Amino acid sequence: MTQKRIGFLVSLILVAAAPWLLTTGYWRGILVLCAMNVLLALSLNLVLGYTGQLNLGQSAFFGIGAYVSTILIKTYGWNFWLAALAAVAAAGLVGVVLAAFAVRLRGHYLAIASLGFAVITYQVLVNWESVTQGVRGIYGILPPVPNAVALFYLVAGIGLLVYFLLDNLVRSPVGDTLRAIREDEVSAAALGVNGAVWKAFAFGLGAAIAGLAGCFYPGFVGTLVPDAFGIVESFTMMAMVIVGGMGTMIGPVIGAVVLTFLPELLRGFGELRLMIYGIALTLVVLFMPGGIVQAWIAFKNKLA
Amino acid sequence: MTAFLKAEKLHKSFGGVRAVHDVSVEVAEGSIFALIGPNGAGKSTLLNLLSGVHQPASGSLVFNQKNLIGLRAYQRARLGIARTFQKIRLFKQLTLLENVLAGFHIHQDVPLWKCFLPSSSTRFRADALELLSFVGLDNRANDRAGALSYGQQRMLEIARALATRPRLFMLDEPAAGLNAAEVEFLLKRLQNINRRNVTVLVVEHNMDLVMNVAQRVLVMDHGVRIFEGTPREVQANPRVIEAYLGGEFAA
Amino acid sequence: MTDVLALVVQQSVNGVYLGCLYVMVALGLTLIYGVLNQINFAHADFVTVGAFTAFFTATRFATKALGIPDTGAYLLSLFSALGAGALLGWLVSAAVFAPLRRRGADELRPLIATIGVSVLLENGQLALFGPIPYQFDSPLARTTLRFGNIFMSGQSVLVVAVSVAAIAALYAFMRFTFMGKALRAVAQDRETAGLMGINENLVIALTIVIASALAGVAGAMLGPVVVLTPFTGASLIVKAFAIVIIGGFGNMEGTIIAGLLVGIIEAFTVQYLGSGLIDLVVFAMLLLMLVVRPTGLIAERKEENV
Repeated sequence: MTQKRIGFLVSLILVAAAPWLLTTGYWRGILVLCAMNVLLALSLNLVLGYTGQLNLGQSAFFGIGAYVSTILIKTYGWNFWLAALAAVAAAGLVGVVLAAFAVRLRGHYLAIASLGFAVITYQVLVNWESVTQGVRGIYGILPPVPNAVALFYLVAGIGLLVYFLLDNLVRSPVGDTLRAIREDEVSAAALGVNGAVWKAFAFGLGAAIAGLAGCFYPGFVGTLVPDAFGIVESFTMMAMVIVGGMGTMIGPVIGAVVLTFLPELLRGFGELRLMIYGIALTLVVLFMPGGIVQAWIAFKNKLA
Repeated sequence: MTAFLKAEKLHKSFGGVRAVHDVSVEVAEGSIFALIGPNGAGKSTLLNLLSGVHQPASGSLVFNQKNLIGLRAYQRARLGIARTFQKIRLFKQLTLLENVLAGFHIHQDVPLWKCFLPSSSTRFRADALELLSFVGLDNRANDRAGALSYGQQRMLEIARALATRPRLFMLDEPAAGLNAAEVEFLLKRLQNINRRNVTVLVVEHNMDLVMNVAQRVLVMDHGVRIFEGTPREVQANPRVIEAYLGGEFAA
Repeated sequence: MTDVLALVVQQSVNGVYLGCLYVMVALGLTLIYGVLNQINFAHADFVTVGAFTAFFTATRFATKALGIPDTGAYLLSLFSALGAGALLGWLVSAAVFAPLRRRGADELRPLIATIGVSVLLENGQLALFGPIPYQFDSPLARTTLRFGNIFMSGQSVLVVAVSVAAIAALYAFMRFTFMGKALRAVAQDRETAGLMGINENLVIALTIVIASALAGVAGAMLGPVVVLTPFTGASLIVKAFAIVIIGGFGNMEGTIIAGLLVGIIEAFTVQYLGSGLIDLVVFAMLLLMLVVRPTGLIAERKEENV
């Protein structure tokens, strides 16, 4: 069996067993959160890690997915799965629009533009009260499945599927094209790569996946307010991708798991535990830019 | 016979500086054409206009009877124009093999949906390795491109550009920073490429290098043409000599 | 004075006052960019640190421990905020910027490092101070000066005075002192400046310290005007970026003009739009700017030759 197949089997077993190892309602909730964070980290990694685009606005797509699906369900009585489909499509479409900025802007200009985009989306969610209820929030949202364990299996299952598809994608010619754009867009163009189209693809797909994660969030928390979809969330996603290992497939997964569970394990330290995000991100960028994956590879090489 | 590549009266300015002014050039198919001139002559800008990095302010440009004006760089690449850059632009984090494979993408025709499914495609691997051995780098196929020496990186860039199987191959100062042996190797490879019916256009600062290799030479200075002819004619021309002696001359 | 004219002048005055605050924040950002070619995402959090430092100095330390009366305490807090900002800037420069420069890091890593610092500062302050807004009263906010039909609070006079003084001091520093000239040299061409014997690392560190000190003072003056929480800086940050981009990265005059512009626009529209939509307007301007003229209103367009 290849290493890849073994990895998948192990992941499958871990996912299946997890809700029976952590059996309190609280910890099962953390598991659901972790699964959502894995999806979010994978979505950002596609744009940031593989295509090299400095996107700080990913939280906006998370929010679009959450609000579009919830509004369709609560106000128009749609079925969850149809609403989710529409929400994913909406997020993906907006992602393609953001890509238009990426085509014209480089580096920190894009970072700021995407940040501005996230803030604009947040302000729209807050101020368009007739539709979104603003900061008052939307109440009484039910998840598509009756309990936390089922929700975890659902989201984690989707996470495994998304991982599988993305993994194949980055090993295919498409992955090579995205990496070429990341490494040097000018010479990629000289090799026939249409940067604009592929950036639109990466942004759109990344946005769609983040939107998909967003569909499960309102049901998980029960009440939907704009607060979860601002700059802070974007930065958190970025921390997960980078701490885990940007530009690899397993990196974001590790980063999401570590940064979801670590603050929980540090509960004894009070509010200071939230500093783990900032500390981890800064230390990783300073000393180990390839993240945990890089550390692991270096460790394996040392043993050999 | 109509010219393979025909540029007429190209103009390009950057913020008030006339980089290329009223420049016309014709390149015959299957030839080796050299574009030389002192520093700041506008050679690289002209190359950028031909390859699509910049659009000219005015003038016409036709390649293989197709109009290039308005076409972007990646579209011109798909028509069969390849190039290397003055400042080496490799995919430094990728391996040599991955760099050359990137050049083969222009020939890939896998539908998008299939890319989401597992596959173990090795379609262009053998071709890529062959190109690497053509430039003498096949023994380092799995090293990171960033780890190569300067001269090796230049040759890798050439191998990667050749992967697109171009009809016209343009090189921007490929000999800069190379030692005598490497230059010798480079020139031999260019002649080899040319013998396989690839038209070659070389931009060079150093006159000597191209004299043995080129069939026709265009000399530029301060953004304009000052002379075009065979290498012998160019070497004897007083205006050319003045342009080089008036400025710097790297021998 | 007719009513409408008086209203226009009043709003303009408010706009200038707001604009001065924004300029103090944005100036530091543009200074750091000019010298390092890097964006400090943590800059707005320096402002928050300055605000909290000023708050605790004014309300706890100066008044309770030293028994200084209100106004004096507030003025003292400006200095403490300046010091806190400077210290924080020095720490971040030594611990984050300098090591990354030594390792020859690209554009991406320092940017993300400043994001890490920002997250760290926000959560750290959250842990120390909690999420509940603090009431920072400046004694000057209660005094009002009147010129005909135009009203100005003592606070706004202070803000304008301090900003003008700071900018004047900065200009004088850059023109007349050696260090100042060294700063301009490094901003123009770091390599050549180094070759000419200028210690770039020292200049860069000094620039960051100055920029952070400005941010700290801005925080002290901002504290009484906004809702003071650990996330106050975050709400400012995109506005600060908008100003720096509109004015042109590294362009001091442009940043000043852009800051005043944003302040005036905000003063005129806040009555009709409310502060949330203000943000939207400013950010929409920012995005428009980035698409149309990324190098800013003042700077020239440069095409890249490869």
